[in-house]
Amino acid sequence: MKGITKVYPDGVIALRDVDFEVYEGEIHALLGENGAGKTTLMRILYGEIRPTGGEVWVWGERVEFRSPRDALAKGISMVYQNFTLIPNFTVLDNIYLAVSSTMRVSREEVVGRLQMLMGELNFKIPLEATVEELPVGLQQKVEILKALVMGARILILDEPTSVLSPLESRALFELLRSLKAKGVTIILITHKLREVKSVADRVTVLRRGRVVGVFNVGEVSERDLARLMVGSDVVVENRGVEGVRGGVALSVEDLRVRDDRGLLRVKGVTFNVRYGEIVGIAGVQGSGQKELIEAIVGLRPVERGRVLIDGLDVTGYGVGERRRMGLAYIPDSRGEGLALTMSLTENSVIGLLERFLGRLNSVRWGLAEGYAGGVVRDFNVVHRSLWDPVLYLSGGNQQRLMVGREISANPRIIVVHEPTQGLDIASSNLVRSKLLELKRRGSAVLLASSDVDEVLGLSDRILVMFDGRIVGEGAPGDFDEEKLGLLMGGFVEAR
Amino acid sequence: MRLGSLENLRSQLLEVTLALVVGFVGGAIALTAFGHNALENIQVMISYGFRDLGYLLLKSAPIVLAALAFLVPLKAGLFNIGGEGQLYAGAITALLLSKVGFYLAIPAGALAGLLVGVAIGLLRVVRGVNEVVSSIMFNLTLYYLSMFAIQRYLLDPVYTHQSIRVDRVLSLPEVVAVMLLFPLAVYLLLYNTELGYRIRVAGSSSRVARYAGVNLNIVTIQSMAMGGFLAGLGGAIQVYGVTSVVDTTLSSLYGLGFLGIGVALIARGNPLAVIPAAILVSGLLIGSHWMELRGRVAPELADVVIGVVILALSAPYAYRVLTSRMGWGVGGG
Repeated sequence: MKGITKVYPDGVIALRDVDFEVYEGEIHALLGENGAGKTTLMRILYGEIRPTGGEVWVWGERVEFRSPRDALAKGISMVYQNFTLIPNFTVLDNIYLAVSSTMRVSREEVVGRLQMLMGELNFKIPLEATVEELPVGLQQKVEILKALVMGARILILDEPTSVLSPLESRALFELLRSLKAKGVTIILITHKLREVKSVADRVTVLRRGRVVGVFNVGEVSERDLARLMVGSDVVVENRGVEGVRGGVALSVEDLRVRDDRGLLRVKGVTFNVRYGEIVGIAGVQGSGQKELIEAIVGLRPVERGRVLIDGLDVTGYGVGERRRMGLAYIPDSRGEGLALTMSLTENSVIGLLERFLGRLNSVRWGLAEGYAGGVVRDFNVVHRSLWDPVLYLSGGNQQRLMVGREISANPRIIVVHEPTQGLDIASSNLVRSKLLELKRRGSAVLLASSDVDEVLGLSDRILVMFDGRIVGEGAPGDFDEEKLGLLMGGFVEAR
Repeated sequence: MRLGSLENLRSQLLEVTLALVVGFVGGAIALTAFGHNALENIQVMISYGFRDLGYLLLKSAPIVLAALAFLVPLKAGLFNIGGEGQLYAGAITALLLSKVGFYLAIPAGALAGLLVGVAIGLLRVVRGVNEVVSSIMFNLTLYYLSMFAIQRYLLDPVYTHQSIRVDRVLSLPEVVAVMLLFPLAVYLLLYNTELGYRIRVAGSSSRVARYAGVNLNIVTIQSMAMGGFLAGLGGAIQVYGVTSVVDTTLSSLYGLGFLGIGVALIARGNPLAVIPAAILVSGLLIGSHWMELRGRVAPELADVVIGVVILALSAPYAYRVLTSRMGWGVGGG
């Protein structure tokens, strides 16, 4: 892939002039933080999205894929984090369904090929088992088998271990090695350093849409990779901003939380946040911070442990009750924090409506409009009318509206998840300085971000999460990028 | 809440005009295919349908309420197909209580509809039953239950093909007042109260609703209760304002609830636009009877003509609702 550039319709530049080369029969890791552009690059290779500029060459031939179907015809297949299997179909039905959509084969032929493949690769999956009965690790193998039967010679795996247990991950790597021995080319999208070192031959590191290094894995250390992946950009600094330190605002005791699939994602976490303090949670995506945050704000049930606000046990409280106690929340998804079909004004008062009610619970829209006006002014939300649906705003403007709404309400405690995603540097710094302003006025801030510079720059105290646990804690000065990168990548011994 | 911008209004008007043209052309094709003079018949339908203003308004009122009965739950993201059954429940309950007096019978009818709505809501919240499925079941059950009630308790001793008469027939101004007040009330409720806001947030996305601390279960029950109330009231008004009796086959009630769905869609989910939409549709209905009479058009064919027009008018909005709400196509979020 040469000179690939991708600009999304909302103006976000995902990739800038990226060159990416994979040799036949190697395991190539594509390493980078969230939002570095790894998945975007691979979706271009897979024909799912089209590049804004640049060329794609496969097997020495210039190609322009219009859809994954074209990519499949060239032997390229992609396995996503979220599997594309029908849960209540059998393994065979799922594979046959996919195979028969591209070529004419009988079920017997498919069974034959599957058995041959499983024999060569030295593992077994009961073909008549229903997919939902299988553990996640086996479901993933079904996906890989599906791709192979469909003739894949280049296999792209998107964060394959994010849903797997350590044991399952090891089994996956075994499988990848035997695939490589068979001559299959594998591209592994990952942000885990250990995976790169243990299974890949070569690695390309992406940061903010640019290639920052290509290495043979044997010739580069984890430390160098960590430093490259995390990088350093100038961000708003916390230093010198002193808040009025107060008592404990929010605390979490031995919290255990499961995700939607029932996997334990938060495995006994304890910490607290004081008034006038910003506590940052650093961690790669899938380390449990999403589930932790949802449990704190009341969106996700807690399996064990407690959440306390101002010393009061709120574990059994709903979202609304916690909001009334002064807890605000900026989610990591605009699809969660904004009602896209409703207007800017209406979106400005989501969760705050109680402040804008008059007689008979009527909404005082004049007042709400005034509040919305303040938000769009303070946070530079470019808009035409405050009564237009939020749908018409660009991604960055939506993000600023959502963040601005929560910050402008002057919450006593605020939980913030990826507040600057999709924002350019100027807007990001605006949001960051507003968070510092909140802290200065004595609010408690819990900040989770996969942007390491953001966490390092803003936090008074940093917690590093990996695999559902806090694996490191300290002041920003205690960490450099290298140490943080290693901790986030799961090298716990660096503690 | 402000009304949409002028541009928005213009494009909506264009859409409606085009839909009307498409609908009537479709109807004309159907008429021609069966050997009728299309132009003449459509002319009869339109000119006669809108001639008697009083009758037109009278007929529109229950349809307005049936449309609102679909519209309120729709704003919460629910498809209340049960307006039909809720309307029967309201009509029959009101008729049963006609000996007590209309001032009690009509509210009781609305309450009966409300109970059916709550039942559908509860089934969804407690047992996870899809509201469309349970609505359809309630419609059928209530259809036969209503026929039974008329045969058994309400039969007129003289005219044995229909029920007894209501104690008092509502006057035209009374019916028109209901027809104007309720859309206005629903509008104010949806766009100017906390409850309405919560309903609309819930309808926008269940994820956003959870984030905003809106209890989806409570909103489901509330909006279905309101829907049922409005449909039940529609049934009571149909009996007390329009027909005075209900025949043993329920032909004077049958289909009103479903018609309400079409009208709500034609009105683009706007409670105030329900009024003109209902007048338009009931005008077409009245006109189609004249078409049957004058042009000897078969009743089924007349229904086809109206059906095509309603379909053309409601399809664009129905498509938008389905794509955004069910996550079909784009806009799922």
